[in-house]
Amino acid sequence: MEYLSYLVATGISTGALYALVALGIVVIYKATEVVNFAHGEMFMLGGFFAFTFHVMLGWPYLPSFALAVALAFAVGVAVDRIAFRPLMQRRTLVSVLLVMIGLSFVLKGVARWIWGGKGDYLTFPPLISPEPLSFAGIMVMSQQLVVLGAACAVMIVFALFFKLTRAGRFMQATADNPKAAKLVGLRTDRVYMYTFGVGSAVAAAAAVLMAPLTLLYPDIGFMLFVKAFAAAVLGGLTSIPGAVVGGFLIGIIEQLAAGYLHTAMQEVAAFIVIMIVMIFIPTGLFGLGRIRKV
Amino acid sequence: MRVLIGKRAFLFALFVLLFVIPWVANEYQTFVANLILLYVILSLGLNLLIGFAGQLALANAAMYGIGAYGTGLLMTHFGLPYWISAPGGVAIAVISGTLLALPALRLSGIYLALATLAFAQFTFWLMTHWTPVTFGAGGFIPPPIDFSPLPVTQETGIYYLSWAAALLLYVAAKHAMESPVGRAFVAIRDGEVAAQALGIDLLKYKSLAFAMSGFYAGVAGALYSGLLGFVGPESFDLLQMVLHKAAVVLGGMGSVVGSLIGGVLLTVLVEVTKEFKFSIEIAFGGLLIVFVLFQPNGVIVFVRRLLPGWTERLHYVPPDKESEEDLAAAPDPDPDAAPGPEEPTRAAAAGPRGGDPG
Amino acid sequence: MTEAALKVRGVSIAFGGVSALEAVDVDFPEGEITGIIGPNGAGKTTLLNVICGMNPPDAGDVLLKDRTITGLRPNRIAALGLRRTFQSSQLFAGMTVLENMMAGLHLMSTTGLFGAVLRSKRMRAEEEEMRERALAALDFVGFRHFANRTGDALSFGQQRIIEIARTLIHEPKVVLLDEPAVGLSVNRVAELDALLRRIRDERGVTLVMIEHVIRLVMGVSDRVVVLNSGRKIAEGLPESVRADPAVAEAYLGHRTNARAPSQ
Repeated sequence: MEYLSYLVATGISTGALYALVALGIVVIYKATEVVNFAHGEMFMLGGFFAFTFHVMLGWPYLPSFALAVALAFAVGVAVDRIAFRPLMQRRTLVSVLLVMIGLSFVLKGVARWIWGGKGDYLTFPPLISPEPLSFAGIMVMSQQLVVLGAACAVMIVFALFFKLTRAGRFMQATADNPKAAKLVGLRTDRVYMYTFGVGSAVAAAAAVLMAPLTLLYPDIGFMLFVKAFAAAVLGGLTSIPGAVVGGFLIGIIEQLAAGYLHTAMQEVAAFIVIMIVMIFIPTGLFGLGRIRKV
Repeated sequence: MRVLIGKRAFLFALFVLLFVIPWVANEYQTFVANLILLYVILSLGLNLLIGFAGQLALANAAMYGIGAYGTGLLMTHFGLPYWISAPGGVAIAVISGTLLALPALRLSGIYLALATLAFAQFTFWLMTHWTPVTFGAGGFIPPPIDFSPLPVTQETGIYYLSWAAALLLYVAAKHAMESPVGRAFVAIRDGEVAAQALGIDLLKYKSLAFAMSGFYAGVAGALYSGLLGFVGPESFDLLQMVLHKAAVVLGGMGSVVGSLIGGVLLTVLVEVTKEFKFSIEIAFGGLLIVFVLFQPNGVIVFVRRLLPGWTERLHYVPPDKESEEDLAAAPDPDPDAAPGPEEPTRAAAAGPRGGDPG
Repeated sequence: MTEAALKVRGVSIAFGGVSALEAVDVDFPEGEITGIIGPNGAGKTTLLNVICGMNPPDAGDVLLKDRTITGLRPNRIAALGLRRTFQSSQLFAGMTVLENMMAGLHLMSTTGLFGAVLRSKRMRAEEEEMRERALAALDFVGFRHFANRTGDALSFGQQRIIEIARTLIHEPKVVLLDEPAVGLSVNRVAELDALLRRIRDERGVTLVMIEHVIRLVMGVSDRVVVLNSGRKIAEGLPESVRADPAVAEAYLGHRTNARAPSQ
């Protein structure tokens, strides 16, 4: 029982990470009907940016965090400019996705070039003491609690952003009905740009929070992207709460598979789950049933 | 510079050149030429699936790996000779490829990309972690291949097998794509709903596209295990996936001969990139971006422009209206050249929504 | 009235709880042109989608001659001799006009992948026959000179005509046309009118047409069916439908989003 709750607790904290990355995937998908295959790289770059400021340059934590998130926003805008906007006219899904896959590899290559080669894992110092805490009889790493709390905070800020700010409401409107948004005079191309930026910023925030637990390496992005993509699809791909639930579910399933089946299963459990889901309930848990586009 | 050379002459010269390479080139050059033959096969197979049938599947490198592992493991675990193991490995790749069509029948676009990506990651995980069978991350060395009645070494034997396979599979792809099968693929790519309304069976042709690309990748994998004499997971990772995509896009999506050229160019570029120690990720990721954005029909466009004897159909962008037309003699004075209100003239992706009442 | 080539019996369908068709019964007489009209959102395209198998109905049946085709996949229904066009042009952009036409003859091919790869004698003979028939079908609409162009190099109106020719190529029994006159100039509509009559008279094909251009639909149709809010509200000869008060009511009641059936 104790073992189970330990696994679940760990699963929740990695799940929070998947949820944050999946959130960005869903927001971008809702607005543009495209999945940003370079989204994992936004996470990876966010982590490396923060590492550069905080560890290499010795800046305090908060400014490093803020600047990393801002830079990731800029990279997200660049993704829109390079991969999405030029293909808006003759947009076929295959070409957009191919460009994004290409971009993902370019960014990964650039990161490897700047921050280290294969097998270089950079450590990011934890915010608070690394000693484990006992919490209602369950041992948890204090950093996990910090991450969980911060992840929840990011999600709440994000929800408020959508509800309360003008930019957020524009994005919501564009996502709900791009044609109507265009008709009432919204500059949808600008909205797309901000959507890519905001999605990337959230991924970067996740990266800075998570870096002390995951270590940083150039390949982390794509691996994380695939899992977060799976989480997003599990949640229906168009539902923000769905993405969050999907993220936690994937995190917990992974830990359970690792704990009860085989440790190596942790890496692959998400893929097995998602293949099963896609074959049997392709709309996901919160999906709207619109999977087939004609 | 304009050279009067037709497609046939070019292809003939290319295959003759590839045939004599083992006699005139050194060991490294022969190895690279053999890789060229494999990448030609790989990019032909992937083009059938992505370029013609329009299915965005990301598991081609996994199929390649399954072919290589299948062949090598059948030899290692069961002591089977190569001429049994290789077809066995190919069969396993075809079966897994066809299984991948299962989600493709219900999913399209992004969902299919995810399902195939998950499959690819799962396959890679089996290669690295299912140690009792696959020997894990370190890979394994399959037993040497015996061509014994023939007086050839393993290198030469594999080389000419690859040469023959590349030639045959090129011709097969070309013939298949210039037949009702090819038209069915393109019809599904350009409009699934309209294709079905013409009686084209999506189930059958999507499965066929996946099976065919599984076959091509499997053959390349079976040859690769013999070429390298070693099989390890790192040959079939995500980078490999990008290389295959780059070969297809470089040559030209939806062009069979483009895949031939793409396979050759890609292999040469990979060797050059390695030579200069430049990041292979940046080089080929960048290549993918540049070509999709600026020349979606691939280098075949330049080839066509340079070689007037070369007639080649382009699938993504309409050809110059005045060229090579035999029947289109009379220009059409058309009063309503303007498209209808709110209706795009080019309706490749658009179509009636299935559940739109009224 | 001749025997019905296509019958719709009590068809109902709903999307997400919203009813799109309710217990619709229609007979489409053989060798005649039947026009379907109604305000936007009346369920016209949905009816076509149900008939051709894209949206299986929640209740009711569709019969082609006397054979029930409800629930069959669209490609099976096409194989039984029912073809259709769509509101937006659905020529395959990556193929020439000739290849588009040959794709319409897909079901003629008997050789499969191996015949194609080996270029068997039978396969080549079939290809040659398909080519001949494709060119003949283009001749029927006078577009042979477009054979080697790609679809997107043609005007919208030309694409629509070629699509209609493509539905005819495999000798269908019934052809469904979804707003064939959309986006056509006045001259082109007149040509379309003549073409539809020729299809009926020379080919003996049963035509079912959704159309908003009232002059066309009232002029060319042998019978007209009126749908409103998913129900059939009138049916009969064009003149009697035009005079039907229920029809006027349906259009006037929706004046904001529909064109009235008068000029």
